[in-house]
Amino acid sequence: MVKSIPATLREVLAEKLIDVMLEAKDGSKVPSSLAKTILFYWQRDQLSSEAGLINLLQGVAYADPARAASVIDDFGLKELKLAFTQT
Amino acid sequence: MMKSFGIEFVPMELYWRTTYYTIQAERLGYDSIWITDHFNNRNVYVSLAVIANYTERIRLGPGVTNPYLVHPVMTAQSVASLNEVAPGRVICGIGAGDRTTLDMVGVEMKAPLRTVREAVEVIRRQIAREKGEYAGKEFRTTAGARFNFRVETDVPIYIGAQGPMMLALAGAIGDGALVNASHPDDIERAVKTIRDGAEKASRKTGELDIAAYTSFSVAEDEKSARKPVVPVVAYIVAGSPPTVLERHDISVDKSEQIRNDLANRKWGEAFGAVDSNMIDAFAVCGSPDQCTEKIDTLFKTGITHFVTGSPLGPNVRGAIKLFGEEVLPYFKDSP
Repeated sequence: MVKSIPATLREVLAEKLIDVMLEAKDGSKVPSSLAKTILFYWQRDQLSSEAGLINLLQGVAYADPARAASVIDDFGLKELKLAFTQT
Repeated sequence: MMKSFGIEFVPMELYWRTTYYTIQAERLGYDSIWITDHFNNRNVYVSLAVIANYTERIRLGPGVTNPYLVHPVMTAQSVASLNEVAPGRVICGIGAGDRTTLDMVGVEMKAPLRTVREAVEVIRRQIAREKGEYAGKEFRTTAGARFNFRVETDVPIYIGAQGPMMLALAGAIGDGALVNASHPDDIERAVKTIRDGAEKASRKTGELDIAAYTSFSVAEDEKSARKPVVPVVAYIVAGSPPTVLERHDISVDKSEQIRNDLANRKWGEAFGAVDSNMIDAFAVCGSPDQCTEKIDTLFKTGITHFVTGSPLGPNVRGAIKLFGEEVLPYFKDSP
């Protein structure tokens, strides 16, 4: 599903999703293994890569799914939003 | 000595958030990371070990630990072990600690100068695997109390200090000093006291890394930057001795009132009593341009290292970015 995100939007979307991760009240719901994977991609500056975004989306699904859905909505990514809300 | 820049984190946040911020800080050119050591937050060395794994260049260490809750042989063991994960990058901040926090667990802050001095001696002896016993008044180790492993690189010790005697001790025995102050007048006095301490101990003052460990906040506009420092400044005003308050034209009565309100958890009253003068006395905050100007003034007092301490800004990630992109280049690009 991440493949459907236009390349031009990936970096900005990743930025917004990072904000969701860092500001979420339920950050402790993010599994430690997933958090470490996200750090791995961040360390390599690859959070806007396909793999980075997949992990970020998984992270925000734990941390704050409602805000994440709203962010995806703001980008007009209907397919992604549908997939995100169904998981 | 080159100007360097550090950042302090209080591990109240989830470990992966603190680690995220440290990766960001390293990438933007910060030179050091200091993690506070309070029993009621996440463990400092667990935090540092994770950070060490995700960073490559930046120096890191406790900022600051204290010898009342952690015996210096354990501090030595912790920083030495961390030094294997991050060789040559580990620094160790140590001070007398915070009386309020120590009171919570029934630990008395006895003879702070001697305790810190001896703790530094014990840490250095342990890291150097010195033979023979150590017989201080506060700490004692037998000849057999040596590490079973070697520490390949040195771990510089920074002494956290505020009062004149601890500042002089930092000058006398520290590899560096972490000065708990934000105002140029306070820092100028501190630098002089540290240098006097160094000279009395027949040390070259140029060898010392003197850091201003400030309460800091940056935002796009001044108003947004000042708001987050209010609670921090309230605690500083409440804990400052009369001499420091008078130096900044802050009434002792007002300080007492804030202290009482904080003790009674009357946050609104306590924070509401913090005025603009108090913020200017006890915090470095403002827009990037204002912060640049203030930091420039602080470097002119003789410090070699500037540490951005809590709260950093209204949004931590945004503040690190703003500082790294709009403040740091001014200093890094100039001699």
